[in-house]
Amino acid sequence: MRDRLLALAEAARREISVASELPVVEALRVRYLGKKGELSGVLGGMGKLPPEERRALGEVANTVKAELEKLLAEAVKRAEDAALEAQLKGPGLDVTLPGRTVPPGSRHPVSRTMEDIVRTFSRLGFDVASGPEIELDYFNFEALNLPKDHPARDMQDTFYVDEASLGHAKKADSPVLLRTHTSPVQVRYMLNRKPPIRAVMPGRVYRRDSDITHTPMFHQVEGLLVDKDVTFAELKGSLDAFVKAFFGSSTRTRFRPSFFPFTEPSAEVDISCTSCGGKGCRVCKQTGWLEVLGSGMVHPNVFTSAGYDPNEVTGYAFGMGVERIAMLRYRIDDLRMMFENDARFLEQF
Amino acid sequence: MKISVKWLGDYVALPPSVDELARKLTAAGLEIEGLERPSEGLRGVVVAQIKESVQHPNADKLSVTQVDIGGTALLQVVCGAKNYKVGDKVPLATVGTKLPNGVDIKQAALRGVDSFGMLCSSKELGLSEESSGLLILSPDAKPGTPIAEALGLDDVVLEVNVTPNRPDALSHLGVAREVGVVTGAALKVPQPKPAESGTPAAERVKVRVDAPDRCPRYVARVVENVTIKPSPQWMQDRLKACGVRAINNVVDVTNYVNLEYGQPLHAFDLDKLGGQEIVVRLAQKGEKLTTLDGKERTLDPDDLVIADGKRAQALAGVMGGGDSEVTPGTTRLVLESANFVGSGVRRTAKRHVLHTEASHRFERGADLDAVVPAIDRAAQFIAELSGGTVAPGRVDVYPAPKPQRKVTLRFARVEKVLGVTVAEPEVRRILAALGFKAVEEGTGQVTYEVPRARVDVEREEDLLEEVARVYGYDNIPARLPRGLPELAPEPAHAEAERRMRHALAGAGLDEVVNYSFVAPKNLEVLGGKEQPVALLNPLSAEQSVMRTSLLPGLLENLSRSVRHQVESVSIYETGRAYFRDPEGGQGQRPAAREVPRVGGLVWGLRGGGRSWTQKDAKADFYDAKGALESVLGALRVDGATFTPGEHPAYHPRACAQVKTADGVLLGHVGELHPRVVKALGLPEGVFAFELDTEPLYAAARLVPEYHPLPRFPAVLRDLAVVVPVELPNDEVRRVILEVGKPLVEDASVFDVYTGKPIPEGQKNLAYALRYRAPERTLTDVEVNEAHQRIVDEVKQRLGAALRA
Repeated sequence: MRDRLLALAEAARREISVASELPVVEALRVRYLGKKGELSGVLGGMGKLPPEERRALGEVANTVKAELEKLLAEAVKRAEDAALEAQLKGPGLDVTLPGRTVPPGSRHPVSRTMEDIVRTFSRLGFDVASGPEIELDYFNFEALNLPKDHPARDMQDTFYVDEASLGHAKKADSPVLLRTHTSPVQVRYMLNRKPPIRAVMPGRVYRRDSDITHTPMFHQVEGLLVDKDVTFAELKGSLDAFVKAFFGSSTRTRFRPSFFPFTEPSAEVDISCTSCGGKGCRVCKQTGWLEVLGSGMVHPNVFTSAGYDPNEVTGYAFGMGVERIAMLRYRIDDLRMMFENDARFLEQF
Repeated sequence: MKISVKWLGDYVALPPSVDELARKLTAAGLEIEGLERPSEGLRGVVVAQIKESVQHPNADKLSVTQVDIGGTALLQVVCGAKNYKVGDKVPLATVGTKLPNGVDIKQAALRGVDSFGMLCSSKELGLSEESSGLLILSPDAKPGTPIAEALGLDDVVLEVNVTPNRPDALSHLGVAREVGVVTGAALKVPQPKPAESGTPAAERVKVRVDAPDRCPRYVARVVENVTIKPSPQWMQDRLKACGVRAINNVVDVTNYVNLEYGQPLHAFDLDKLGGQEIVVRLAQKGEKLTTLDGKERTLDPDDLVIADGKRAQALAGVMGGGDSEVTPGTTRLVLESANFVGSGVRRTAKRHVLHTEASHRFERGADLDAVVPAIDRAAQFIAELSGGTVAPGRVDVYPAPKPQRKVTLRFARVEKVLGVTVAEPEVRRILAALGFKAVEEGTGQVTYEVPRARVDVEREEDLLEEVARVYGYDNIPARLPRGLPELAPEPAHAEAERRMRHALAGAGLDEVVNYSFVAPKNLEVLGGKEQPVALLNPLSAEQSVMRTSLLPGLLENLSRSVRHQVESVSIYETGRAYFRDPEGGQGQRPAAREVPRVGGLVWGLRGGGRSWTQKDAKADFYDAKGALESVLGALRVDGATFTPGEHPAYHPRACAQVKTADGVLLGHVGELHPRVVKALGLPEGVFAFELDTEPLYAAARLVPEYHPLPRFPAVLRDLAVVVPVELPNDEVRRVILEVGKPLVEDASVFDVYTGKPIPEGQKNLAYALRYRAPERTLTDVEVNEAHQRIVDEVKQRLGAALRA
């Protein structure tokens, strides 16, 4: 019986060692170690043996069984590894096919630029405000120190609104127009608040002008700071800080005397050319400078319109054209692209 | 305004370089926008006198000339022109010259004969568009003189951008004063004193001003025995440099003195004035006047005219009339130097669309103190240049001499406004140099008399600006404002808008920006019932009314992209729609109601174009709705509803109205109505939406509230029902949730199917139900019971059949 056991072990060892597939290994386990397997078959006759022999044979049987279990486990692992190996060897995915995605939409360069300008000023503590685009002459001009028949009104060619189309129950206080700048928001903002004031006012503005460098609608961001002891030095400091934050810290500013009816003194702000750094190129027409901002100290008449005492407070105001800044920023050379909304244009932003 | 640098030099010493002059003027507020240097392209071109000319031995069409350019030897030059004779003086481009047309002049042999340069035509020198043959110069030209000098082109012209507040700088004297202020150089002002003789002016012409509020001062002079002829070359050169065409010695003088003093002048032919009388009055209604430009104009009673005894002879301050024009036969003149009120001149100039050098100056404000010197200067010039005699005296109507304006400057305000200390003596120096006269000293302040030329200086701030610009903006320090204001919470809508934009971008929509004005027909096509706000002076009918919807712009963008073979368009815009407000325009209330909106559309292939991951799937209603759901999700607008809606722009079978949980209408989403598609020539399958953003942002819950996670597991069950196709998902779902309360946590539709084996007119809806109890684990029995209840109710209430 012992010999049969050893012979069985020998045969099993041989067969298990060459088994390389899981079903084969499983079949071997059933054949040798299963309830009705060969090992059980051999041991079935053990009951008839005298107790001493039975014990000795039992020991041998246990050893054989343990050995075969171990070999079978190894065979399972070998077979699994082989199966995995085989699976890993197959043809790979085409990883060059594009992924499954909704291509993200783009942001219009003007709207993005406007938001970025506003965000830059909000870092300096500026609130954001807005006002009507269909505006009264009073807020757009008169309250800003631009009386009727003032030649400075020529600086801004105006769209007027047909008052019959407005359906007013009572004639409006002054002629109705499309605001030519965001400055009327200054007046409305001040009328409803007390100083100190810090606010930027982004929005659409309209001028009756259409050619290669003008569109009848464009965007401005207006800024206003009013407090005790605000001076021209703070105006320079704030705008210089904005320019450096927005265009890069090496950008320089230049303040030139100019004229706006609603500020006194007034200044145009030039920045060193964003294209050539100030050496002179086509973008800056060889001057090294780009005009990007109008600014100045709030005119006392504007404070009076807003109900403030010009002897009590001072302030500065500024305004900038968003399209111009967006064009410099993205190096767009044709203003009209901005409002054509060509898909091939939009997808670049 | 064009300023001749040569001319400027008559009145003030100039800095050594024109560039420096330009920089200094710009820094002081007279922005030099450009420099014209007509001599630039003429370097190397000199006056040459042709001493000899013979036929070229090898070429019929060429001659060989010997020319004198002031050197010891003659130069040999081969020439192709024939329009000269020996002795003529012509331009020679010497060897090494680069002509304005790009030609480099080299020493060359032409058909075997050496040529040392090129004799030039005016076209070759860039002086004219066309020319035939050589430019023959004046016999006075000296051989060897640079051609620029010989032609009076050795000037530099400054293009000065004079802001509307500085009419004082619309003249050479005015700019010279600025130069003096910034360089410290003294100003030399002409002191005209015409020699007078003959009959006094007052006996030759009477002047009456009927509208003194429109004409504060009118001065006339009479010059007799004039001979009309061209003015001298130097004067013509200066006028030309400033862009003014030379006419004759009288008109040129009036223009010259205008450019010198900034005081517009006019000369009438005295013999053509009826009644030898000048009346300054308002026009009569319907009165006619033919202006110097040859146009007959019908005058308005608000137009100020210069009339003789009978009729209007000139539009005051704007343009003279043809009837009293100075002509070659004129012998007696009335010169006019007057001051007209700007607003009136402006109305007349606008009314007649007539913008002239004179109206430009009067509109901005001319110098009352220039009236007399300018007319004296002009009379003196005319006498010199025309052989005329100046009648003694001026006829001067100045009924109410204007007091000089006084403005007080408090020295402390300089620092208060400019943020820099400018020493008092420097402040005084600057203002004195600008012509401000200190007339009253006070403690820490001084009162100045403002020169009448400075119409812009009315108050202290104006003086501060004068100080600042001359002191130099560059010399004022830059400081950040002190302190931060109270940190107010960011306006809620700003964050909401940002999230909305992100959501729309995530849904693949590109942002567009369209004009706010549209063609009325494009609003009508969309069925807009509102009367739009219309422009009085639109640029075109296409941009004549304010939009009441963002859709017209979006649809135009779509058309454009389709024309460019784009396969897929997904766009959105944020902006306002504009509506009437019957109560508007009073006080601070805006004139119209402006409603912030977001609009968008999707069309074409889903996902931006053809893709292997989805076989040419076309965007449909659910893409547009999905974009909105992304927005609602990003803003956490809970409980918003989409219910079948009606809107004239959308297909009646594919339109939903969107409302907040509180029932506030946000807007619509739908497939474009086939009529709209056809009318606008659009492709089919356009799905659009438009929402009001104010109620949308108001419904946003930007700071969500945390709910504890469930502690017990959920049980998932599917439910499939067959219902009539027109039964909305929402109704089925409502029944499920209602009946399943409180155990059904969620029921989401995961399949919608029509077609075999589902009967015609029916659809199969499959739902994934999630059952859960907050405080215990559900048993199978409980769930089975609940599920069965739902099945029964759905069957009974909705007449649904159940699918296994």
